Amino acid sequence: MLTLLKDLRRLRRRIDLPAPARGRSLAVRHVDAGSCNGCEHELTLATAPQYDLQRYGFGVVASPRHADVLLVTGTVTTRMRAPLLAAYEAMPEPRLVVALGDCALGCGVLGCASELAGPVEDVLPVDLRIPGCPPAPAAIAAGLVELVDARQ
Amino acid sequence: VSYRETVAEALEAGHRLAGLHAVGETVRAVLVASDGSAVVASVEAEDGRVPSIVDLAPSANWDEREAADLYGLRFDGHEPLRPLVDHDLELARWTVPVYGADAYQVAVGPIHAGVIESGHFRFHVVGDRILHLDARLFYKHRGLERAAEGRTLEDGFAYAQRACAACAVSNTLAYAHACEDALGLRPSSELARVRTILLELERVWSHLNDIAAVCAGVGLAAGNARFAALTERARELNRALTGHRFLFGSIGVGGSAVELDVEAVAAARAELDALLAESRGAWRELLFNASFQDRLPDVGVVTAVDARALGAVGPAARASGIAEDARTLGERLAYDGFEPVAPRRVAGDVQARLEQRAVELLQSFDVLSSLLGGPVEPAEALPRAAAKPLGLAFVESPRGATLCVVEHDSGRLRRLRLRTGSYANWPVVAHAAAGNLLPDFPLINKSFELCYACADR
Repeated sequence: MLTLLKDLRRLRRRIDLPAPARGRSLAVRHVDAGSCNGCEHELTLATAPQYDLQRYGFGVVASPRHADVLLVTGTVTTRMRAPLLAAYEAMPEPRLVVALGDCALGCGVLGCASELAGPVEDVLPVDLRIPGCPPAPAAIAAGLVELVDARQ
Repeated sequence: VSYRETVAEALEAGHRLAGLHAVGETVRAVLVASDGSAVVASVEAEDGRVPSIVDLAPSANWDEREAADLYGLRFDGHEPLRPLVDHDLELARWTVPVYGADAYQVAVGPIHAGVIESGHFRFHVVGDRILHLDARLFYKHRGLERAAEGRTLEDGFAYAQRACAACAVSNTLAYAHACEDALGLRPSSELARVRTILLELERVWSHLNDIAAVCAGVGLAAGNARFAALTERARELNRALTGHRFLFGSIGVGGSAVELDVEAVAAARAELDALLAESRGAWRELLFNASFQDRLPDVGVVTAVDARALGAVGPAARASGIAEDARTLGERLAYDGFEPVAPRRVAGDVQARLEQRAVELLQSFDVLSSLLGGPVEPAEALPRAAAKPLGLAFVESPRGATLCVVEHDSGRLRRLRLRTGSYANWPVVAHAAAGNLLPDFPLINKSFELCYACADR
């Protein structure tokens, strides 16, 4: 365990991270509305030591009740429409919605029309769009920082 | 010979069920032998009914339920035929009834507490003890297979790729192989080599990710961070080699456009050597972390008999003692002399499944090191046989053998069926959970680390 922590410290020193956040903190709840799993894998690595999303003041929280931001991946399937709306309804206000990845933005979506409810903006008001198929961890971090800075 | 007799004879001869699908009013079961040769048994529906084979091959359970929901067929002898893809039904129709003193249900999902795909689990428990688990997936069903129908074989590629980013190479390679099987094409040795490299690059990042996921599953943040950092480097290597972190678009039907010069190949070898050295070190730390190791043995046990009956594939099956790996099948890839590996303790538990990833990772580094000896050139598949209306292929994805069946009318898809390693293993996860503690479920689930997208399509 100690060796693991020492390794991580060594890794930290090698990675050129920007200065930690000052005065910004947002709790993010992720909802997969029908993705191909690519955005999830990249979002997971946005919290890896190379990017360390937490350093910018962003934490992924377990419940929409604790969240400021709803981060939605995938085109919204008919089956995920109701759970997505329920998560949004459960959030305290003010709340923000981020559509993450091309599918969430309605770009290049594949599938049967009868199974798809549409891009995120057809279901919820979208405050920030992060394009990419999938967006790389750095793009996700940059997008979220922009979202906060634009409001300060 | 009837459909059921054909299936029974093939099973008797040692074939395993690789998948079952409906195309119009026809149902086809694909059975594969240990040498990779396949038997396709077909039956026409009469008044929308076909005989079930679930009594002969229990792993046909999901396939028949899917065909019932999406193609409106009934399977005589499959009772009760619970819905799989269909939602919005009363609970009693899709769950197994569990009665007894203090038995109650815990519903989890479709939205989970972390960065996780969507799916619903209904645990039947007494206290913390799981009696039974009903998994209801297909929240992410996009109808990709149906949407691909009528497209050209070339256009169908995008639908196979969109099924899952984590298995993009495996799924598209299975699709390309199935199309080439239908078109009578065989890959040149250079094409076999570049595709094997891509498939192993996918396995490297995926196995690193899966080890990180088990660390996350027990709350070992340091181990999770260390392996996540390695996963990130592996994905950056993919980007450097092909321009995409998940290797999207690197596989093609009938050929490969991937080109790597001497410097690119040398840089890849150097980075892979570094990743190998660092993964070894990080793995050693996990081995000597007592509080971590203490969580792993005898949790989520799947016996060899159960793994066989349920049709388990991939690292999960091998950790239960089933020494099968689709990389040993066929001649379309460059796996000369490849033998499946096993963990030290073939116990079918979380520990064995975790160690299986670690030993397979070393093997993948070995394969890559021997195949990255020189530059990679664009390559083509060559005509070797007559075209046929049905092509099929098996590819070993990081999660296990993936079957792709392509049926076409003069180059237009009549049916695309992608039965992924995740699809095969989801019923095994539910089985592994029974008898364990509810708080151990995340760990059991992570030791399989299946994709929802791959199963839902």
